[in-house]
Amino acid sequence: MIVDEDQVLIKKTLQGEKKAFEELMRKYEKRIFSFVIRMVRNEEVAIDLTQDFFIKIFTVLDKYNFEFKFSTWAYRICYNLVIDHIRKNQSQVNSLDDDSISSKEMLSSENVIRHDGFNNLSQEETRLYIWQMVENIPTKFRELILLRYVQELKYEEIAEITELPVGTIKNRIFKAKEILKKEMEKDGLPA
Amino acid sequence: MACLPDHKILAYLDDEITSIEQSLIRDHLLICPGCRQKADRYAQLHKILAQPVNSEPPAWLVPQIMKRIYAETPHYTAIAALIAASFIFFVTWIYIYFDFSSSSLIQALRLTSDSTASWLVNIIKTISVIYTFVQAAFKASHAFLSMLLNTLPGTTLVIAFVLTFSGLLLFATKRWLLKKAGAVKK
Ligand SMILES: [Zn+2]
Repeated sequence: MIVDEDQVLIKKTLQGEKKAFEELMRKYEKRIFSFVIRMVRNEEVAIDLTQDFFIKIFTVLDKYNFEFKFSTWAYRICYNLVIDHIRKNQSQVNSLDDDSISSKEMLSSENVIRHDGFNNLSQEETRLYIWQMVENIPTKFRELILLRYVQELKYEEIAEITELPVGTIKNRIFKAKEILKKEMEKDGLPA
Repeated sequence: MACLPDHKILAYLDDEITSIEQSLIRDHLLICPGCRQKADRYAQLHKILAQPVNSEPPAWLVPQIMKRIYAETPHYTAIAALIAASFIFFVTWIYIYFDFSSSSLIQALRLTSDSTASWLVNIIKTISVIYTFVQAAFKASHAFLSMLLNTLPGTTLVIAFVLTFSGLLLFATKRWLLKKAGAVKK
């Protein structure tokens, strides 16, 4: 059995130590929130979902199996929560539609970039721009890019979380990168 | 070697190819500016993806979750207090039910009434009636409290202690009266 820092915190939480769960949340809040907000693209919804996620984790913590890594288990719960939310709201909210790339932020960011001229973009601006592009690619690509790069997970871990075959995941991440590279070239970002 | 397809370049950058392929690709990139530019772009993309723009959750998020979680969950100490209270209540109640009903107390009083001042009899009668009443009230409140688990376990504990103490006091009084009656009989 692996006993890592997370698992020590979980044991303490299960023994009733409040501070331990707070520490666990502090460790994961940024990564979870970054993932959720990029998936749902709405701050209020992301805050609610992040809260729901941690409360859910707390209530099912006694069911956590210490033979597995906590982060994989937690991300899987988070992923399911977010995907459920997106599915429920897909019909009502257009901006969450898989193939529509029509968010206001994107249009305005493009305008800003056009005015400044591509070649004057700083590295930081390029970085922000690409991450904005990530938010606008279809969900099935976006979720994998986020799991890979925001949550820093291995392909095998992503496969466990999404229940997709590793081959499919690699293929979709490759497609996502192709899309992003095309966007970079279309907008003439510096190489 | 022909020009590299995108997925080969990506596999190369991801270290996901055999070492033989790796050297072939490296050689091709050295002589082909087109593929090199593609590889540079992907490398840049990788660099950017490796530095995600993290979004900060609001500072109140964790404290609020803590509040929600621990308000909804009874504390372990509260549960322990409630169990102790229930136990004391149970023991007291058994005592009272089998040994200690007001009728048995009054019986004991009758045995001694000839030698005991009547005011003491009246006081003890009144106390035993109040005791029975409090006991019933406690039973009802206990059922209510255990439903709410989290609510005022301290109060439950205090009531249980008061009941136990007064129950034992009545028990001692009865014993004393019976002893006295026995002495009178002798
Ligand atoms: Zn080439």
